[in-house]
Amino acid sequence: MSITPVSRARADSSTRRPPSLDSILRSALVGLFVILMLVFILGPLLWLGVRAFAGNWTFPNLLPDDWTLRWWQVVFNDGALGIAVQNSLFFAPLTVLVSAVICLPAAYAFARFDFPGRRFFLISLFATNAFPKMGLFVTLAALFYALNLMNTVLGILVVHVLGTVVFMTWIPAAAFAAVPRNLEEAARDAGASKLRVFASVTLPMALPGIIVAAVMSFLASFDEAQGTYLVGAPDFMTMPTQMYSLVLNYPTQVAAVFSILLAIPSVALMLSAHKHILGGQLAEGFQIK
Amino acid sequence: MTSTLHKPAERQQTVPPARARRPKRLGQRGVGFFMALPPILLIALFVGFPIVLAFGFSIGLNGGLNRTIATIGQNVHESDAWWGTLAAYEEMFSNQRFLGDLLVTITVTLVSTITVLFLALGIGLYLKLKGGRMARLLSGLAIVPLFIPVVIASWAILTFYSGTGFLRSVFAIVGLDFPVWAFTMVAVIIGSVWTSLPFAVLMVSSGLQSVPNAMIEAARDAGAGSLRTIVSVIIPMAAVPIIIATTFTAIGIVGSFTVPYFTGPNSPNMLGVDMSNYFSSFNQPQQSAVMAFTVFVIASGIAALYVWANFRSAKEQGKV
Repeated sequence: MSITPVSRARADSSTRRPPSLDSILRSALVGLFVILMLVFILGPLLWLGVRAFAGNWTFPNLLPDDWTLRWWQVVFNDGALGIAVQNSLFFAPLTVLVSAVICLPAAYAFARFDFPGRRFFLISLFATNAFPKMGLFVTLAALFYALNLMNTVLGILVVHVLGTVVFMTWIPAAAFAAVPRNLEEAARDAGASKLRVFASVTLPMALPGIIVAAVMSFLASFDEAQGTYLVGAPDFMTMPTQMYSLVLNYPTQVAAVFSILLAIPSVALMLSAHKHILGGQLAEGFQIK
Repeated sequence: MTSTLHKPAERQQTVPPARARRPKRLGQRGVGFFMALPPILLIALFVGFPIVLAFGFSIGLNGGLNRTIATIGQNVHESDAWWGTLAAYEEMFSNQRFLGDLLVTITVTLVSTITVLFLALGIGLYLKLKGGRMARLLSGLAIVPLFIPVVIASWAILTFYSGTGFLRSVFAIVGLDFPVWAFTMVAVIIGSVWTSLPFAVLMVSSGLQSVPNAMIEAARDAGAGSLRTIVSVIIPMAAVPIIIATTFTAIGIVGSFTVPYFTGPNSPNMLGVDMSNYFSSFNQPQQSAVMAFTVFVIASGIAALYVWANFRSAKEQGKV
């Protein structure tokens, strides 16, 4: 924990005196803000979560009249939903793999080599983010029609990988750049080969950044809905694209169950990498150097 | 959620001196160039090229690879001249529906971005200046949306603020009538703020944390009040991450689709949604392309700010 609040020393001296009206008012305001944020952030999620187990629910009661697991059965017995889960679990790891093969060498190059066009390359990667995703998919459609990529696995894969390029390049590049040169040089002086130095010094030290990039890419693919819908529907439905039709065609409780299922991988992956994400790996990656 | 936002791993001492020290061999530069090439080629082929192609389509150059989509689409303007025609743009910019969408898009982007920035600054400053359990709770809370797929978030927000949603229920119990926010722009703004908050909070707090405490103490010793310290010392020193957070938030919102699609009204809605309507439902791809380029012009204006901020930070660290 590297946080050292500036005011701690001052706070210590002031605690001996009885709290003033001003400070009471201030903590009341902070408390109110925290409560508002709790409702704002967690409220919708809890409200949705309860719905997955709800039978009848009378307005304006804050809890359902009765509880049921019926909706879970509906989801598990529905073939189309199962296929969507399968498709999602097929595309997401494949996307991460393809994206890593394409982008990680580039990330290393951005961090370690100075070559003509380096800065231009880094910024042009940003173009994927600056151009509105929906607009991009609309423009992609013309090309996909011409190349016969509509409704194909390859087409969807391209869409998914495009959404991960920035993560897979920028974040690992920052991580590679943060590995101290003198450590690598020391290993070289000790007689290790270039490959050995990379495998046992550079890579392990940059691994947290690579993991964050992989997690973000997995989730980007797992959550990608607009492009997949445009390119793949109705032949290839993934979990998020299935959500679009679920919300329209099924009872809200079914969509709630499906939401929980869809959120499980995200939450699990994020929790496993949250230390690195909050540790600044993500924030580091977004500053072009 | 008691996670902490750490200081970014000692940013200052990363690359520059070592890089300058070593004499550069020509071979190494070549290797670097070719290693960096694959993602660039991917983007050139599937982002750059389609954008050029679509721009041609939007000005009525319907030959070549645009032939298929021009044949499928309806209400397609075609140019006789090689330099194209602005007919599709003229059509859209005199279309009330499009102009309404444009206004809504700009409004939502402005309001949401400013809200996100204030929340992120508030949480980041509280974490920096006060610390403690409450601050960590707040920052942890603000990160939660990162864990939730946007599709689910949008839908959860829609039900929360719907006619039978939580807020209406609570108010109804007390006997008051709360407005229905579902399918209004209010819900779109709430959803945009909700989904954009984590990235902004991560960026801004990481920037604020790297402001040296000694500077803050010095400002206070010189007699500056809290507000003065924040406005003239802390925020200017963390300006670059703050600008990055702002630009990414704004770009994300201006082109967003899922949040307005789920939570917004049918019309007017944000351009991302109507772009997809024109493309799929109305089968007017050219009009859709015009919308895409309108959003792109706005987004690239914001992106220019981002690039400028990064160059400034690179300059400050003596790398350019």
